[in-house]
Amino acid sequence: MFLPLVGAAVVSVLPKANEKAAKQAAFATTIAVLLVTIGMVLSFERENVAFQFVEKYAWIPSFGINFAVGIDAVALVLILMSTILAPIVVLAGWNEAHGGRWSVKTFYILILVLETMMIGVFAATDVFLFYVIFEAMLIPVYFLIGGYGTGERAAAAVKFLIYSLVGGLLMLASIIALYVMSGDQFGHTFDINELSQLQMSSTTQSLLFLGFFIAFAIKAPVWPFHTWLPDAAASASPGTSVLLLGVLDKVGTFGMIRYCLTLFPEASKTFTPVILILAVISILYGAFLAIGQKDIKRLIAFTSISHFGFITLGIFAMTSQGHSGAVLYMFNHAFSTAALFLVAGWMISRRGSSTVSDFGGLQRVTPVMAWSFFFAGLSSLALPGLSSFVSEFLVLVGTFTRYPVHAIIATFGIVLAALYILIPVQKALHGPTTPGNENLKDLNLREKIAIAPVVAIIVVLGFYPSPLLKIINPATTNIIAQLGFSDPAPSFEDK
Amino acid sequence: MTFTSPVLSYTLLSPMLILLGGALIGVLVEAFVSKAKRAVVQLTLALGVLSLALFQVWNIRGEQSISPAMGSIIIDGPAVLLQGSILIISIIAILLIADTEHFTALPAALPGSEEEREAIAMGAQVTEVYPLTLFAVAGMLMFPVAGDLITLFVALEMLSLPLYLMAGLSRRRRLASQESALKYFLLGSFSSAFFLFGAAYLYGFSGSLDFAGIQASVVGGGGNDVLLLIGMAFLSIGLLFKVGAVPFHSWAPDVYQGAPTPVTAFMAAATKVAAFGAMLRIYYTVFANAQWSWSPMLTGIAVITMLLGSLVAATQRDVKRMLAYSSIAHAGFLLTGVIALNKAGLDATIFYLFAYGVATVGAFAVVTLVRDSSGEVTDLNRWKGLGKRSPFAASTFAFFLLAFAGIPLTSGFIGKFSIFSAAYESGATGLVLVAILSSALAAFFYIRVIVLMFFSDATEDGTSVEMPSILTRSTIVVSAAITLVLGVYPTPLIDFISELAIFIR
Amino acid sequence: MTTSTSLLYLIGLPFAGAAILILGGRRTDKWGHLLATALSASSFAVGVYHLFQMVNRPIEMRPTSQKLFEWISVGSFNVDAGLLLDQLSICFVLLITGVGTLIHIYSIAYMSEDRDRRRFFAYLNLFIAAMLLLVLGDSYLSLYVGWEGVGLASYLLIGFWNQKPAYATASKKAFVMNRVGDMGLSLAIMIAFATMGTVSFAGVAEHAHHTSEAALTAMGIMLLVAAAGKSAQFPLQAWLGDAMAGPTPVSALIHAATMVTAGVYLITRSNFVFDAAPTAQLLVVIVGAITLIFGALIGTAKDDIKKALAASTMSQIGYMILATGLGPIGYAFAIMHLITHGFFKAGMFLGAGSVMHGMNDEVNMRKYGALRHFMPITFITFGIGYLAILGVPPFAGFYSKDMIIEAAFNSGGTQAILLGSLTLIGAGITAFYMTRVMILTFAGTKRWDEGVEPHESPWLMWFPMAVLAVGSVTSGYLLYHNRALVFWLHPLFEDHGEHEELLKPIVVSALALTMVAIGVSIAIYKYLRENIETVAPDNVSWLTKFVRKDLMQDQFNEKFFMRPGQLLTKTLVTTEDVIIDGSVRGVARMAIGSGSGLRGLQNGFVRSYAALILVGALILIAAIWVVVS
Repeated sequence: MFLPLVGAAVVSVLPKANEKAAKQAAFATTIAVLLVTIGMVLSFERENVAFQFVEKYAWIPSFGINFAVGIDAVALVLILMSTILAPIVVLAGWNEAHGGRWSVKTFYILILVLETMMIGVFAATDVFLFYVIFEAMLIPVYFLIGGYGTGERAAAAVKFLIYSLVGGLLMLASIIALYVMSGDQFGHTFDINELSQLQMSSTTQSLLFLGFFIAFAIKAPVWPFHTWLPDAAASASPGTSVLLLGVLDKVGTFGMIRYCLTLFPEASKTFTPVILILAVISILYGAFLAIGQKDIKRLIAFTSISHFGFITLGIFAMTSQGHSGAVLYMFNHAFSTAALFLVAGWMISRRGSSTVSDFGGLQRVTPVMAWSFFFAGLSSLALPGLSSFVSEFLVLVGTFTRYPVHAIIATFGIVLAALYILIPVQKALHGPTTPGNENLKDLNLREKIAIAPVVAIIVVLGFYPSPLLKIINPATTNIIAQLGFSDPAPSFEDK
Repeated sequence: MTFTSPVLSYTLLSPMLILLGGALIGVLVEAFVSKAKRAVVQLTLALGVLSLALFQVWNIRGEQSISPAMGSIIIDGPAVLLQGSILIISIIAILLIADTEHFTALPAALPGSEEEREAIAMGAQVTEVYPLTLFAVAGMLMFPVAGDLITLFVALEMLSLPLYLMAGLSRRRRLASQESALKYFLLGSFSSAFFLFGAAYLYGFSGSLDFAGIQASVVGGGGNDVLLLIGMAFLSIGLLFKVGAVPFHSWAPDVYQGAPTPVTAFMAAATKVAAFGAMLRIYYTVFANAQWSWSPMLTGIAVITMLLGSLVAATQRDVKRMLAYSSIAHAGFLLTGVIALNKAGLDATIFYLFAYGVATVGAFAVVTLVRDSSGEVTDLNRWKGLGKRSPFAASTFAFFLLAFAGIPLTSGFIGKFSIFSAAYESGATGLVLVAILSSALAAFFYIRVIVLMFFSDATEDGTSVEMPSILTRSTIVVSAAITLVLGVYPTPLIDFISELAIFIR
Repeated sequence: MTTSTSLLYLIGLPFAGAAILILGGRRTDKWGHLLATALSASSFAVGVYHLFQMVNRPIEMRPTSQKLFEWISVGSFNVDAGLLLDQLSICFVLLITGVGTLIHIYSIAYMSEDRDRRRFFAYLNLFIAAMLLLVLGDSYLSLYVGWEGVGLASYLLIGFWNQKPAYATASKKAFVMNRVGDMGLSLAIMIAFATMGTVSFAGVAEHAHHTSEAALTAMGIMLLVAAAGKSAQFPLQAWLGDAMAGPTPVSALIHAATMVTAGVYLITRSNFVFDAAPTAQLLVVIVGAITLIFGALIGTAKDDIKKALAASTMSQIGYMILATGLGPIGYAFAIMHLITHGFFKAGMFLGAGSVMHGMNDEVNMRKYGALRHFMPITFITFGIGYLAILGVPPFAGFYSKDMIIEAAFNSGGTQAILLGSLTLIGAGITAFYMTRVMILTFAGTKRWDEGVEPHESPWLMWFPMAVLAVGSVTSGYLLYHNRALVFWLHPLFEDHGEHEELLKPIVVSALALTMVAIGVSIAIYKYLRENIETVAPDNVSWLTKFVRKDLMQDQFNEKFFMRPGQLLTKTLVTTEDVIIDGSVRGVARMAIGSGSGLRGLQNGFVRSYAALILVGALILIAAIWVVVS
C-alpha cells in the first residue's frame, strides 16, 4: 500500500532537470503497485465476507484510534480500479505536466502521493483513519487542479476544496458523536465493525447519517451538491480529471455503502425514498445539462453526474442486483470516463480549444483518435456488449424489482445518453473538416498504448463480467442481508 | 504578632527562580558587557536560562504540592505541562527575536530622527529585549501555577509589562508600533482593574484570597452568590482579555500588527498558554462546583469569539491582522475545551495550546521573511505568487495555515478533534456545531491565502523573500516539524499529557 | 432440443471480419472487401448446413442450442450467453446471410470508387454479426445486445458519408429514435424479470401461462414500442425516410430486407406473451394497420426513388406487424411475407442503386425516364420485384400478401372487416405508387440532366439483382406450396384451431387483384404521359402537400419533443448557474459581507475599544442579574 509513497520519495530525490527520469520512475512505481494489487486479487477469498489482508497498528491508543486496514470485495474492486488507472494516467498524460505552475517532478510526486491515499481511503477499516485520508487527499488534488489545470483553475480548485471541506466537517461532527457514544457504550473505538454495533436512538442515527451522507453526496456528487464538479473537471488537466471523477468521486459512493449503510442501517432505510429521488434527478438533470454544454470537458463532467445518479440509485435500491450493479458501475464508469477524458484531452491539446464546435470532421483527419472517442462515447451511453451496459442494466433491473416507478423514469436516461454522446460526436467527428483541423496529428504510439487497455477492459467486461461479479456478489448480498432485505420474489406464482 | 519565616521548596520553584535570575543577569550584562559582544552574550544567556528552566521542569514532573511557597504557588501535573509548553515555545520564539533586524536601534529616539539614523549607522541594538522576554516568561510560568489571587495578579502584571514595552520596539513603522504599545498598555491596565475588582468581590464572597479557601466556600455554598458571580465575571474579564476573547479582543489586531513580528509571535503563542493555563486551573478547580454559574457565560463568549474571529479574518487584507483574528477564533475553540470541564477537555486544551502555540510562532516567523526595502510586507495582495519566489516560505506558511484550518496530518486536526470531542462528551453539542461551522468559515480564508501564494501571479513591486538567517530558519523548521509530528503521531505527547494532567485541589 | 457447438461460427465469422478490417486499418484496404464477402458467404454456408441438419431431425429435436458462458449472474438474476437456433431463427439466418452475401458482392462494385470501401465492408460485417446475434440469442438480454448492435451498425452505415451534415444528422436521428424503442425493450425485460424471475425465451414461455395478464400486457406493449422503433412503425417511423442517406446497398440490406424486420421477429418470438395479452395484441394490430396506410400514402408523393421505396417498406412491414397481431394464424404469414419482401424489396433497392449508378447518383425520379432501353437487366429485375410487391400471381408477393389479407378477414369479430378492407386499400395504394415509380423511371421520355449517359451496371452488380429476382418469383410459391412454412413453424406457436372463414381465399385474391388493377390504372392515367415536370408542381391540393410533407411526422416530433426538450435543457442550464450555483456563491458572499460589517468595530480608537470591553462587562452583569433574580 505504501509502495507509491516510496515511489514518490524516489521521484522527489530525482533532479528537477531530469524530467524523463521522473516520469519513468513514476510509471514504474504505478506498474509495480498494479502488480501487487493483482496479486491480492488472486489471493482474495471470494466467499469470505469479512475484511481480508487485515493489518492493525495502534496509532493513538488513548483515543482508541488504530492504523487499521483491511479489504472487502468492494474495496478490492475499487483499489484494483485505481491501480489500473494510475499507470494509464501517467502514460497518457506524459506531457501534461509541462506548462504547469511547478516542475514536472512535483506533478508526479503529487500523483503518487494521491495514489497512496486512494488505496488507503478504500482500505481503511478505522473510521478515524478513513476520515484523515478522506480529508488529506483533497490537498494533492487541490494542487493538481490549481497547479496543472487550465482556465479558471484557481477558482475551480478553491471551489472544490471548500465544498469538500464543508462536507468533511459535517462528517467530522458525526464521527465525533460516534466516538463519544462508543466511549459511553464500550470504550472509545473507531473500528468500523465495533461501531456498527452501537445502539442509538433513531433521531441520533438520522442526524449522524446525514452528516456522513451529505459529505459523500458532495463527493459523489449527487444533485444538488454537484456544482463543484463541472468547474473542477473543466479546469483540471485530463489525467487529473480522470483520477478525480474516476477514483475520488467513487469514495463518495463507496462511503455510502461502507459507512452509511453499515453504520446507520435504520436511518438508511428512513432516507431511502428521498435519496432515490435525488438519484433519479441526478440522472436526468445531469443528462440534460450534458446536452446543453458547449465545452467538451464540462459535458463529460455532467454525464458523470448522471452516471453517479445510477450508482446511487443502485446502492439504495436495496436489491442484490442493484448493489452489485452499483459496485460494478463504479468500476466500469472509471474506465469509460477515463477513455472520454483522455481522448478529449488529446483532442484539446491538439486543437488548442475545448469547445465542441471548434472540432469537426475529425473522423477523416484523425481516424484512430475519432474512433477512440466514439468508442468511449458508446461505452458511456452503455451500449450492450460494453461493460457499462452490464452494470447499468443491473442497476435498473435491481431498482425495478423494488421501485418500478423510479426505474422507469431512470430508463429515460438511456435515450438522453444517446443524445449527449451523439451530439458531440456529430459536431466533433462528423461533418466537413473545419478549417484549421486539416493537419491535426493522429494518436501516437504512446497514446495508443495508453488507451488500448481501457478499450480492452471495456469490451471484455462487457461480454464477460462474471469474474468481477463473482468477487462482488457475496459481499453485496451480505450487505443487503445485514440490512434485513431480500430480493423481491418474482410475482408469477402468487397469481 | 508572630512572624513565621516562609518555607519554600526551591526545587519546585526553580524554573521561575532561574528565569528571574537570568533576567537580572541580563540586566547586568546590559550594564557591563560591551556593545559588540552584548547581543551574543544575551542570546546565549537567554537560551541557556530557558533550557535550564525547561530541564528543571522536566525534573519536577510528577511532583504534586500545594505548598511550595506557602500555598501561593501550586505545582502539579498541569502546571508542569503548561510551564513546559511555555518554555519550549519561548525557546523557539527567542531564536526569532534574536534576528535583530526587527527591533529599533534606539527606542528613545524619535522615529526618523537624526539620532536614530546615527544609531542604525552605529549598528546599535536593543538587546534589552532578552531580559524583558525572560521577565515575561517568568511571569507566564507563574501565571498558571498561582495559588492565590494576589500571586495570580502579580504574575499577570509581570508578564504584561515587559510585553507592553516590547510591543513598542519595532524598527519599521515605529509610530504604529508605539501606538500599539500604548493601546496595549491602556487596555491592559483597564482589564487589570476589572481583574482586581473581581478579586475583591471574591474575597468578599469567601473571606479568603487563596484558591483553596474560595473553593471551599464555593463547595460549602455558604456565601452570597451575587458576590461570587460578579467576582468571577470580572476575574474572567481580566483573563479573557489576555487570550483575546470577544468582546475583549479589540486590542489584539492592532497590537499584533503594530508590534515587531517576533514579539507578536511570542505574545500570541506564549501568553495564550499562560492565560488559558490560569483559566483551566481556576475553572477546573476553584469554580468547578459552580459550573452552573460560569459555563453559560463562557459558552456565549466562546460562540461569538469563534464566529466573529472566523468571519472577520476572512476579510482581512493584512497577514498579521489575519493571524490576529485567527488567534481570536482559536481562543474560542480553546474555550470550548475549558467549558467541557472533564478530563478529556483538560488534556485536549493543553495539547491544543502547545500545538497552536508552536504553529503560531512558525507562521509569524515566515511573515518576517517577506520584505521589501521598507521592511516587512504584510499586505496580502503583495504576497501573490510567493510560491514562485520562495517555495520554502510559501509551502511552510501554507502548512501552518492548514494546521490552523485543522486539516488532518497536522497537529491542528488532532487538537480540534480532541477538543471538540471532549466538548461533545460534556454534552455541549450545540457548541461543537458552532465550532465546526466556524472551522468551515475559517478554512475559507486560510485557503484564500494559499491560493494567493500559489495560484496567482506575482506583481513586480520589489517584494522579496529574505534568505532566512539560520536562527529564523531553525525557528520555522522546528515548529513545522513539531506541527507535522503531532499531526502524524501524537500518541506519545497525548499519553504524556493525559497521565500528568490531573489538578490537585 | 439438441445442442450444437458450431452455432457460434455463424456470428463469429462476420464478427471476426469486422474486427480485422477495423483494427487492421489501411493495411487491409487491398483485400478487405473480399475477406468480408467471403466470411459472410461462409456464414451463409454454415446456415445452410444447419438447415439440412435441422430438416433431418424429428420435429421436437429440431431446435438446437449452444451455451457459451455465464454472462451476468447476480442473486436470482442469471443470464447465460447462449444461442438458440430453431425453425424461426433459421429462416432469418438464411435471409440475413444470403441476402447479406449478395449485397456484399454488389457493394464490391458499387463502392469501388469510395476511398473508405474497407470501412464500409467492416460495418457490413459488423451488421451481419449483430443481426445474427439478434435472431440467435436465447434470451431477451442477448437479443438486446444484437438489437443495439444492429442499431449501431445502421447508425454507422447511414452516416457513412457523414461529411455531409444532413447525413450525419440522419444517422443520429435514426439512433436516437431507435433508442426510444430500446427503452421499451429494456423495460420489457425488467418486467419479465420482476414478474417471472427470468429473461430467457424458454423461461418466459414457461411462466407466461401463470403470470397476471396485466403484467403481460405491460410487457407486450413495451415489446411493441421496441418493435416500432426498430421496424419504423407508427409512431416511431420518422427515421426510416432519412435513413436513405446511407449507401443504397445499405438501404437494401438493413432498411428493407433485414434489420427493419427485427420488430416482426421480436413479436413473433414473444408469441407466448402476446397470445396471453389480447390488449397488447390489439395494439399491435392497430399500429400495423396505421403504418401500412401511413407508409403507402407517403409513398405516393415521393419523387426520391429511394424514399419512395422506403415508404413502401414501412407499409409492407405494417402488413407483417398486423399479421403478427392476429395471433397464431398470423405469425407464419408474417414471416412468409417478411421473407418474400426481403427478396423483392432488396432486389428493387439494388435496382434503384443500379439506376443511380448509371445516372450519376441522381435520385429524383422526375429526372429519369425511358431507362428501360438503357438498363434492360435492371429494368427486368426491378420489374419482377414490382410485380411481386403488387401481388400479381404467381410472383412471391401474391402468396404472402394474400395470406395476410385473408388472415385479416378471418381474424374474427367486427374488427375483421375493418382490417381486411384496410389491407385491401393498402394493396391498392401500393399498386398506385409502385406503378408510378416504374413509369417515372423506366417508361416515358428522357428527362435527364445533360451530361448523363445511363449505362447498364457491371455484372458484379446485376448478378445479385438477378438472384434476388429469381427469389422474388419463386420464394412465394415454395413457401406456400402445401403450407410448407406454416408447418415448418407450427411447433413454435400454440394453434387455437381453425377459424371460421369469413371469405373464401379465392374471393380475397379477386378483391385484392381488383384493388391492384384500380391502383395501377390510376397511376398509368396520371403519369404515363409526355410532360412530367422535372420539379414537383406546386399547384396541387393541400392533401398532396400534406402527404409530401410525410404527413407532418417530422414537424410533429419537432413541435412536441425536440423543441420542448431544447427549451428544458436551456432552462436547466440557467437554473444551474443562477439558482444552484448562485445560492452557493450567495452564502460565501454573505459570510464575507457580515465579516466586513463587523470590521467596523475595529476603528483604531482606544476609547471605543475600552467602551467595547465595558459593554461586554455590563452585559455580563446584566446576565448575572437575570441568573440571580
